[in-house]
Amino acid sequence: MTTQPETFGKHRWGMTIDVDRCTGCQACVIACQAENNVPLNTEQQYERGRAIAWIRVERYWEGEFPNVKARFIPILCQHCENAPCEPVCPVYATYHNAEGLNVQVYNRCVGTKYCANGCPYIVRFFNWWEPVWPETLRNQLNPDVTVRSRGIMEKCSFCQQRIRRGVRQAARESRELRDGDIQTACQQACPTEAIVFGDIANPETRVSKMRKDDRAYRMLESLNTDPAIVYLAAVDPDKAATGEAAHG
Amino acid sequence: MQQRRVIDQVHTNRVLLNGQLATPKWWLPTVTLLGLFVVVGWVLIGFMLNKGLGVTGLNRPVFWGVMIVTFVFWVGISHAGIMISAILRLTQAEWRRPVTRTAELLTVCSLLTALLFPAMQDGRVWRDYWMMPMDWARGVWPNPRSPLIWDPFAIGTYLTGATLFLYVALLPDLGNLRDRTKGVMHVFYSVLALGWRGNPRQWKLQTVGGILLSALMLPIFVSVHSVVSWDFAVTPGVEGWHSTIFAPYFVIGAVHSGVSAVVTVMALMRWLWKWDDFIRPEHFDALARLLIVVATGWLGFTFLELIFAVYSQEGQEVALREMQIFTWPWNAWFIVFLLTGYFIPVGMWLFKSVRNNIALMFWTSILVNVGMWLERYFIVVGGLSRKTPLVNSWATYRPSAYEWAIMAWSFAWVSFLLLLFARFFPLVPLFEQKESQTFSAEIKIGRARVPAVLREQE
Amino acid sequence: MAGSAVSAGAVAFVACKLPEHELVIESPVEMPEDLVRGEDAWYATSWGDATGGDGLIVRVMQGRAKKIAGNPDFPVNLGKQSSRYDTALQSLYHPDRIQQPLARRSKGGVASKLSWPEAERRFLDVIEQSDGKIVIVTNPLRGHLGLVATQFAGLFNGRHLAFDPVEQGVLHTAVKKLFGADRLPDMDIANAHTVLSFGADWLSTWVSPVGMSVKYGKFRGQKGHGYLVHVESRMSMTAAAADRWLAVKPGWEGKVALAIGKIIVDGNMVPAANSAAYRAHLPAGALDRVTVNGVAGEANSGISEARLREVAVKFAKSTPAVAFGGGSAGAHTNGTFNLTAIFALNYLSGAVGSKGGLIFNPGSPVVGVPDSARGASFEEWERELAQWRAGNVKTVIIRGANIVHGFPKSVDVAGALAKVPNVIVFASVLDDTAAQADLVLPEKTFLETWGSDIPEPAPGYQALGIQQPVVGSALSVDGTELLTDSRGFGDMLLWASGGGLGAADMRELVRKASDSLYDLNSATDSVSAPSKDLFWTGVLQRGGWWDTKSGVAQSGSATSAVIGTNPDGALSAPPHGEGEVFTLVPFVSNAWLDGRLAAAPWAQATPDPVSSAVWGTWAEVSKHDAEEMGIKEGDILLIRSTVGEIEALAYPHPGVRPGTICVPTGQGHEHNGRYAEKRGSNVFAALVDQKDSETGALAWAATRVRVQRKGVTTKFTKFEGNVEAYPIEPGVPILVVSPGQSAHEAQEENHEHVKREISERAER
Ligand SMILES: Nc1nc2c(c(=O)[nH]1)N[C@H]1C(S)=C(S)[C@@H](COP(=O)(O)OP(=O)(O)OC[C@H]3O[C@@H](n4cnc5c(=O)[nH]c(N)nc54)[C@H](O)[C@@H]3O)O[C@H]1N2
Ligand code: SF4
Ligand code: SF4
Ligand code: SF4
Ligand code: SF4
Repeated sequence: MTTQPETFGKHRWGMTIDVDRCTGCQACVIACQAENNVPLNTEQQYERGRAIAWIRVERYWEGEFPNVKARFIPILCQHCENAPCEPVCPVYATYHNAEGLNVQVYNRCVGTKYCANGCPYIVRFFNWWEPVWPETLRNQLNPDVTVRSRGIMEKCSFCQQRIRRGVRQAARESRELRDGDIQTACQQACPTEAIVFGDIANPETRVSKMRKDDRAYRMLESLNTDPAIVYLAAVDPDKAATGEAAHG
Repeated sequence: MQQRRVIDQVHTNRVLLNGQLATPKWWLPTVTLLGLFVVVGWVLIGFMLNKGLGVTGLNRPVFWGVMIVTFVFWVGISHAGIMISAILRLTQAEWRRPVTRTAELLTVCSLLTALLFPAMQDGRVWRDYWMMPMDWARGVWPNPRSPLIWDPFAIGTYLTGATLFLYVALLPDLGNLRDRTKGVMHVFYSVLALGWRGNPRQWKLQTVGGILLSALMLPIFVSVHSVVSWDFAVTPGVEGWHSTIFAPYFVIGAVHSGVSAVVTVMALMRWLWKWDDFIRPEHFDALARLLIVVATGWLGFTFLELIFAVYSQEGQEVALREMQIFTWPWNAWFIVFLLTGYFIPVGMWLFKSVRNNIALMFWTSILVNVGMWLERYFIVVGGLSRKTPLVNSWATYRPSAYEWAIMAWSFAWVSFLLLLFARFFPLVPLFEQKESQTFSAEIKIGRARVPAVLREQE
Repeated sequence: MAGSAVSAGAVAFVACKLPEHELVIESPVEMPEDLVRGEDAWYATSWGDATGGDGLIVRVMQGRAKKIAGNPDFPVNLGKQSSRYDTALQSLYHPDRIQQPLARRSKGGVASKLSWPEAERRFLDVIEQSDGKIVIVTNPLRGHLGLVATQFAGLFNGRHLAFDPVEQGVLHTAVKKLFGADRLPDMDIANAHTVLSFGADWLSTWVSPVGMSVKYGKFRGQKGHGYLVHVESRMSMTAAAADRWLAVKPGWEGKVALAIGKIIVDGNMVPAANSAAYRAHLPAGALDRVTVNGVAGEANSGISEARLREVAVKFAKSTPAVAFGGGSAGAHTNGTFNLTAIFALNYLSGAVGSKGGLIFNPGSPVVGVPDSARGASFEEWERELAQWRAGNVKTVIIRGANIVHGFPKSVDVAGALAKVPNVIVFASVLDDTAAQADLVLPEKTFLETWGSDIPEPAPGYQALGIQQPVVGSALSVDGTELLTDSRGFGDMLLWASGGGLGAADMRELVRKASDSLYDLNSATDSVSAPSKDLFWTGVLQRGGWWDTKSGVAQSGSATSAVIGTNPDGALSAPPHGEGEVFTLVPFVSNAWLDGRLAAAPWAQATPDPVSSAVWGTWAEVSKHDAEEMGIKEGDILLIRSTVGEIEALAYPHPGVRPGTICVPTGQGHEHNGRYAEKRGSNVFAALVDQKDSETGALAWAATRVRVQRKGVTTKFTKFEGNVEAYPIEPGVPILVVSPGQSAHEAQEENHEHVKREISERAER
């Protein structure tokens, strides 16, 4: 009856993102689109502020010319342990699973968009129209991932299909899951290795160790959302010299 | 002392039933025109359901817009009924009598309209029933932590109560109508009148029922807009919404807009059905005084909100207020909002001559609701436009023609329902009029004592 | 009785606490485990046309390519990728792929469909009749496709010319002159403490961006964080990543490098031997003629003297320190001077051929297969096109080079093509050049064909990437028909040579290369196998061959008198008309490059890293200029040079040097499939045909333009919201620490700062 593997609940998925390494290259963004059947963001979608990007790179300015800086930060669902998007969903279409994922159940979602208002990280995306792919481009769709219909919410799933594959592969080979067996598409793409994903229930994994880094912080910490994503602060050798970097 | 005009019962009946026993000349064309708007509106809604919410101007991060604004607006209007009926009934304010039914009716119609808005702006409206606790087969229940579950319950309870309230108060008049009609209409009223004979036991039950319902409804009335406010206040993700003052702020704003709407409708009734004898300037005067107090309380909350921003100095809160007050076109609308929602109407109501001038009261009460609609727009859309400190994702929204049309439709729809009701049921309760006459020759309106307009002939 | 109590209890239990899997509806992403979703296969391959020598893996299920990622084994990119990889899937499945050969009866006539046998016959006929007057035009090609193109041209006594709209020829010249190396050195950023780069947006598009980004990650990961100084007139991705961005005035890069060198030499900051080597590789007396005063300041390079000195100290003291440049730094009339002055700095820091510096690589492991590629210089092209116009060329075969789109407007390519009797274009989507062809042959994409690529720069040793078909052919969704009946360019040339090139098709050629690598018999750590067949399988599985022990090449001897004609890097005054006071700085798009990938909708939809602009052409103007000229975001700007005028949407931002205007390349196609045609405008068209005085390369970053508002404002299509994104409080959302500072300390500091600010404001 149950569809979950026996190890379900044993792992806890988490991620670290080193802001200091991110170059804003967008490799993660497009890798995620390809992996997760994210509908094509047409010109009109962008014009209307409706583009879907489960992971996006925000760019912040600091200072004024010539001492201006542009900093990048990739933002995706933080898989908050205390997720503000979850309690507001009237139909449990978004909930927390035993592995720490904020799961979006497409076929349960009625499209109130309330969760998207609740999410402080603005990482939830609504399908305003039925997504269309030119027939030939459908060849490229990932069969492991549902193609969403209109009227429902979608967002980063931590590449759940890859987690499942990894877990089942390990089970099939009768072995423990190894650190690094499962890579999210964005992590796999990121050329500077800014993104590291793994099991944070296991203190030996790379991601667990990185979470204890001196530079570790979490986004919008004051909201107490307890995200599964930990960021590592950007390093600026000039910060001490120029004072508070955010105020240029 | 004013000269008391004594109107005989036959005359009362004829005047107050002038909408039911005969159809006024303006009724059919007006209702047809409204009906046309209503049909167009429903077609637009149907088209939206068919094509998807893409037809709106909604975007990320402004996922809620005019439809939710209008939802809050109509829930606000609905507060009129209970405010006028229940409170005044419990406090035995005599002057309430001619206006109670209109107020209750407005409650029912606006709630019926309000409920449609959050429903129609869902992505998969045809699955909205999943919000009801009825998914037995799969064992998936709705989420009781979500204010969107409390909403239908709070509003549903309010709607049920208000409908019962309206109905109980209608019973004596239904009996009256039954006795004055023939044929199909006779059958219609007979069924609805539930065998009303006007015997003492029935009168007693009807009175007790009315009082009990009043008492029951009061907490609901407070809860409904509190619950609606929590739709917003529970979201830590939206700085402009996540506020502890929202419940009382919303309730008092609702009373402000609801009572103003009653004033608007009363003025219309007086003009349309020529009920100058029953709906008197004194009523407007009393409501205006009440509104001055309510509106000033509400304004206090509005400024409290701004003070929070100034006091906390939190980046995005300050940015939100800065956008609302200083950036184009929000700044223009902010001024319109303050002027229409408070300063023009309340400023005018300070003068007795205005309070007693039906036309001025009509227009000022409309101004209030323009302002109150804008207030909700500022809260809902403003809050979302400056959500969290992720400045790179800050964006605003422009409603599409669709949304405007659907909002306009709701006004046509409420008017349509009101007029339809007025065609079959008296808007001023006959029995209340007569009852008041029996109880006293003078009634108290605020601190003023005025002659009752009607004396029951022994 | 007991029974009812039990059932009541059960009901209560069920009502109070349902097991999670029953409470929650199964998400379709969590499929039932008994449902086997076919097995996937990841095939290794490479993509010589666009990746800078990276290795790829492609996920294939049921005969369809689903996802592209970096090949984790391949030494250049180590499993990593750029945003452009996945867009390649859309080249494969593009809805506008040319389905069958097209031919025109007369120049400019109507194109009609042709069967392949007819097309093949025509192709052979044309080549036979060309009588040696044949030219093959391609993009710069390494690997076997490059070999085939050159050899084919040779076989028929013709020429092979490569076209690169944003020429890197200056770069190769400078490297050759300074270090005697034929191939670009590997820039060992990962092990450098200081990186000083000029002009080249190497984290985004320059040379080998993914490999360099991988190294950048390691550079940032090292203790002390590394210090990156980037000198470029545009706020590019690399400029954004830099610890210090020097917004140099276009064309001053070389002088800035020279001034930094002078400060170091004069300050005796490095060993005397280094200074001597440095001096020896500069034009005689150049160092003596330059003064820091003459370079620093707003009147000159735009960089203050204090900054120059600061950078000089870093570069001299914090070693290993490597300097390199390219891109717009070489795209001036003094381009060779600039790049020479820049690369020469490595002699100062002792970075030539050492760890954390420039590593020189051995060449191709397979005899004859090109290991380096560059476009012909603009000057060569001008000569070539003159031949076409003169009627001296009978046949031109074009592949991968959109010459109609990529040349400045002053060069009338379409006119030249009109004078060539037979223009044959291989293309998978009809582009502007294919639209001018007499015969259009639908070309297979790299995902359907055989080939190879030799990375440049190599990873420090010999390497060769294999390109293999990962899908048979692009199919329609129901799998019943071919999307296109196409041929590989290499296969077609080999076939037409009738065995003259020693192989029947590309597969055979690549297989031969594999066998020759086997014969090298080196104990490599990529593939070792007991037989040629197994070796071949191994090469295909790993995506290529490399040999970490093949050793580092020594740099050759420099051609010391480094610069002949312009030893002081004088900029010739650009021709300009009235009001043309802005310098136009074109830049290669991170998403669609020079237009190569513009047809893919994902490329169009990829936000530009800095502006987040999509689906069009935008112009980055400085906030300062914008305020002065009343330009707002979304205003249509008319950008006019003496040769042409283009339109672009204004994007004012704080990271542009006033007086410059930056426009991405690769839009404004007349033909390029439904997603790209008639979209945006073509910045190449507005470029003035100035050349580097040394090499004759196009000085593509030296055009002066006039900028005007058209008076029309449209919505600027971009991903960011509509507020200029400065953080509204320090540390949110990006926390910045100084080296060694912990996140907690930085947060405390920010908190203190906010408190102070509030109380200061309250006092006022
Ligand atoms: N012991 C025993 N053996 C039998 C029989 C029996 O009664 N008893 N019956 C015989 C008969 S009549 C038959 S027809 C065969 C049937 O034998 P099989 O063809 O093996 O049938 P299943 O095991 O039902 O399904 C095969 C797999 O297809 C997967 N699947 C489901 N949908 C899809 C899809 O859309 N795509 C892909 N790729 N996979 C999918 C399922 O998850 C399942 O793992 O068995 C024969 N063998
Ligand atoms: S980031 Fe947003 S969507 Fe994701 S779990 Fe947190 S609140 Fe929910
Ligand atoms: S949009 Fe879907 S997931 Fe979000 S709250 Fe509504 S029903 Fe739940
Ligand atoms: S974890 Fe997977 S789903 Fe989430 S952003 Fe990364 S690639 Fe997309
Ligand atoms: S792939 Fe990595 S470096 Fe590139 S934008 Fe994403 S997180 Fe940043």
